[in-house]
Amino acid sequence: MGSSIRKAIELILSADPELLNILATTAKVCLTSSVIALILGVPLGILYGAGRFPGRRVLLVLNRTLMGMPPVVCGLLFYLLFSGVGPFRHLHLLFTVPLMILAQVVLITPIVVGTMETFVADTAPALRETAKGLGFGPGKQFRLLVNECVYPIFSAYLLSFARAIAEVGAVAMVGGAIAWKTNVMTTAIMTYTNRGSFTLGIALGLILLSLSLLVNVVLSLLQRRFSQ
Amino acid sequence: MKTAAFTKSYHRRLALSLPELELPKGQITAVLGPNGSGKSTFAKVLSGIEAADDKQPILTGVTVGYLPQKSFPFRMSTEKNILQNGKDPQRAAALMHALGIEGLAGQSAKRLSGGETARMALCRILMRPYDLLILDEPTAAMDMESTLAAEKLILESCREQGCALLLITHSISQAKRIADRALVLHSGGLVEQGPGEQVLYAPREEQTRRFLEFYGL
Repeated sequence: MGSSIRKAIELILSADPELLNILATTAKVCLTSSVIALILGVPLGILYGAGRFPGRRVLLVLNRTLMGMPPVVCGLLFYLLFSGVGPFRHLHLLFTVPLMILAQVVLITPIVVGTMETFVADTAPALRETAKGLGFGPGKQFRLLVNECVYPIFSAYLLSFARAIAEVGAVAMVGGAIAWKTNVMTTAIMTYTNRGSFTLGIALGLILLSLSLLVNVVLSLLQRRFSQ
Repeated sequence: MKTAAFTKSYHRRLALSLPELELPKGQITAVLGPNGSGKSTFAKVLSGIEAADDKQPILTGVTVGYLPQKSFPFRMSTEKNILQNGKDPQRAAALMHALGIEGLAGQSAKRLSGGETARMALCRILMRPYDLLILDEPTAAMDMESTLAAEKLILESCREQGCALLLITHSISQAKRIADRALVLHSGGLVEQGPGEQVLYAPREEQTRRFLEFYGL
């Protein structure tokens, strides 16, 4: 165990090409999917939190259900849609990075929506009453609401990124964990562990844990900064 | 300035029913009544925050400013909060000085105490003139010194701007100090209205008398 960890650290320090490729693929998949989820999720979260429209409650229940969707179910759904028998087979996206990104967007957008909705539903009524009382129009009310949302937006992004980087079920099913092509950190850990090659798996595990720690440190700092 | 008669219900239960009311310009009208009498509902409907049962406006062609009981501090400095409602930094400075919060100008409004937030919110609403200004318990979170300073500022602003000012308050002594007129509500209905010296010192209605005796202790 001790020698495996030592070898893993040596592998990280030596900038092993395969390790770098896995990290690059992971970064591409997770950064792209979390940014897309943020772009889609923030306006939806604000709409669900501040808006009052027919069907809002149904959409909220649906979003909460999607927040808890098992990644393998999401992966299975995309696999069936894009495999040789699926309606989108002609797009030839199965076992490619774009489909991995798409699957992750579906998985993590509800997290962004949920985080934003909870905050906005709590904040919007008091803000709206004060702003309307001052005679501010809808445009200014919206700008003030968005200004309140800076911390939740960061928080939602980091949470969605953390979920994306730790996710394995969906990316394994739609990406196929193909070496030098669609292998990301989590799928690589699985693949190499199954082969009995623990060094690369441990190295990736250490990087994953470090990233998780970094995300949590940034979140704590942000929380402290914006609570002041 | 005259308000239309209206009713307001929540979940099909009548919460407030009021006849036409006269709100003279340049005068402070105190709205008094026990908890649940409909004071805040009156303020919300009059300001347009909530609609009356018939969805018709209570006032037309007038600008209304409304300071809720718990005013929201926006995520910015105290001074910027105040300047959201007017672009005159000198007026903002004068208002902050009058309420003793000039030292908090650069501080985040989210870090203000309850009393400081109430003072900031009062400065913010007084930044520009309204035809009708509704203040819902503006001094409830303030100490006596701040309350007296706030009352002086409210009185001066009302006289200078010539606005009709509706002051919702629990404090009979506050109403006696600054109100020109008084209006007493009970269980969602109007009990009595008239000049302050008559309603607050020689009420005609038994309900008003009992209210003044109980809350005036």
